[in-house]
Amino acid sequence: MSDTAILSLEGLIIGYDDPLVEPISLEVKPGEIVAILGPSGIGKTTLIRTIAGLVRPLGGSFELNVEPRGGLGYIPQRLGLIRHATVAHNVSLGARMRVKWSLDMFKERKERTFEAIRTLGIEDKASEPVRRLSGGQQRRVATARTLAQRPELMLADEFLGELDQTNVDIVLGAVQDLVKSGTAVIMVEHHEDNAKNFATRIWEIKDQRFIDLPIEEWVKYHSEKEEEE
Amino acid sequence: MKYRLFGIILFLLFIAWGTLDGLVEGDWGRLEGGLSNLVVFFEESMWPPNWSVLEARSYPVCEEEVGFFCSVGYLGMMETLKIAFVSTVLGFIGAISLSSLAARNLTPLFVSIPVRVFLSAVRSLPSLIWAILFVIVIGFGPLSGVLAMTFYTVGYLGKLQYEVFEGMGNDPLEAGRAMGLSRPSIFFNIVIPENGNHLLSQLMFMFEYNVRHGTVIGIVGAGGIGYYISTYLKFLQYDKVFALLILIFIVVVLIDLLSLMVRSFVNEEGDVRKPTWLTLLMKARKRKQTSVEEA
Repeated sequence: MSDTAILSLEGLIIGYDDPLVEPISLEVKPGEIVAILGPSGIGKTTLIRTIAGLVRPLGGSFELNVEPRGGLGYIPQRLGLIRHATVAHNVSLGARMRVKWSLDMFKERKERTFEAIRTLGIEDKASEPVRRLSGGQQRRVATARTLAQRPELMLADEFLGELDQTNVDIVLGAVQDLVKSGTAVIMVEHHEDNAKNFATRIWEIKDQRFIDLPIEEWVKYHSEKEEEE
Repeated sequence: MKYRLFGIILFLLFIAWGTLDGLVEGDWGRLEGGLSNLVVFFEESMWPPNWSVLEARSYPVCEEEVGFFCSVGYLGMMETLKIAFVSTVLGFIGAISLSSLAARNLTPLFVSIPVRVFLSAVRSLPSLIWAILFVIVIGFGPLSGVLAMTFYTVGYLGKLQYEVFEGMGNDPLEAGRAMGLSRPSIFFNIVIPENGNHLLSQLMFMFEYNVRHGTVIGIVGAGGIGYYISTYLKFLQYDKVFALLILIFIVVVLIDLLSLMVRSFVNEEGDVRKPTWLTLLMKARKRKQTSVEEA
């Protein structure tokens, strides 16, 4: 795995009118899994949307070292699926980003699409419109879309929300495979347990302060804090 | 809330009444005898409808086995349907190209505003005026009708389409943008599938609208059933006009049913599997059989 940073933030100030968090400076390397924790409305989604290029930062800068076409995978809070299109169509959007123009383009795109669908265990739903699926199945479709894309950086906003443990395991298992191939993951997470089990690094936003710690240190920091209290 | 709404409606009615009174300059006397005039006109001139419009014309000589296929009603209606079909298809293609540029969530303001202004300009002329313009420019006949209705369709459908696009959820668009999909790719792979139901519905509505307006533009010589209606009106043959109007009504209802069927393939009602009368009857019969066997 390369040691070059996939994402570099230099004094990044996020927010819409006023800064939500103190300036953030850090780097994310390939294969890292970052979980962003913090109470609702604190700026977690704004941070992820800023990195996705959907919100203009108020100050500072960030650099994405990924391919412009398909290098960034994004699962928004409401998943961003095309409800009236089939599961296969939705997943193929991810695949189309990375398959280059060639005679075998369509075949390769189809293979990628169905491989991702199979990995997430939704092959029996491939030709169903997304609107007919349950919330959990829709989350699996959104993950399959990113899986088919195989991005260098995956941004996911609460994509494990509403999922039962079986579905959490299926989705995280699929993302782990992606991480092994060098993808870095930044995900907003509400459940500390999921973060502890899955992430290698935690970003915590609290009272406009930004804490960036490796998972072991974060666990230690929290247990010490609890003891103090 | 209920009383406030009632109050608003009452207020609007009052304003409308006042405006109408101003328009007729308080001369309500002209309404007197209006209903009886209508009854006399209907009974003496329109009723019964003259169904000879569905029989073969005397000239040119009919070469079809069934005379109906040489009738004024059939030929006029078919020409109107053809004009409406071609102009709806051409207009839809034109409209979708322009509406993709006019939607503010898909293109920057410096692109969307000029396209919106263009669509408004095209829409501001009714199809009748477009028809008169094309009859002047290229002469009588269905081609003038096709061009007139195509232009009007572009303006009208374009507005409906960009409003639908602007109303769609932002999430799929944001996911596509973040992934790096190009603008055309976002439009064809996200916007169109997500709004397929609305687009189909609008397309069918526009076809129906063009069929109805085909009758109007025919009056100025742009082809279709309207040409025959205009001729019968000139010769005061209102019974034949009435028969043709019934024919138009039937065709419009059939298009509406067709639209319902087409949309059922894409709308969410199809997700709910409602029991049919047949399945309900079969279930009732099965229950009856089981109870007989148990007895």
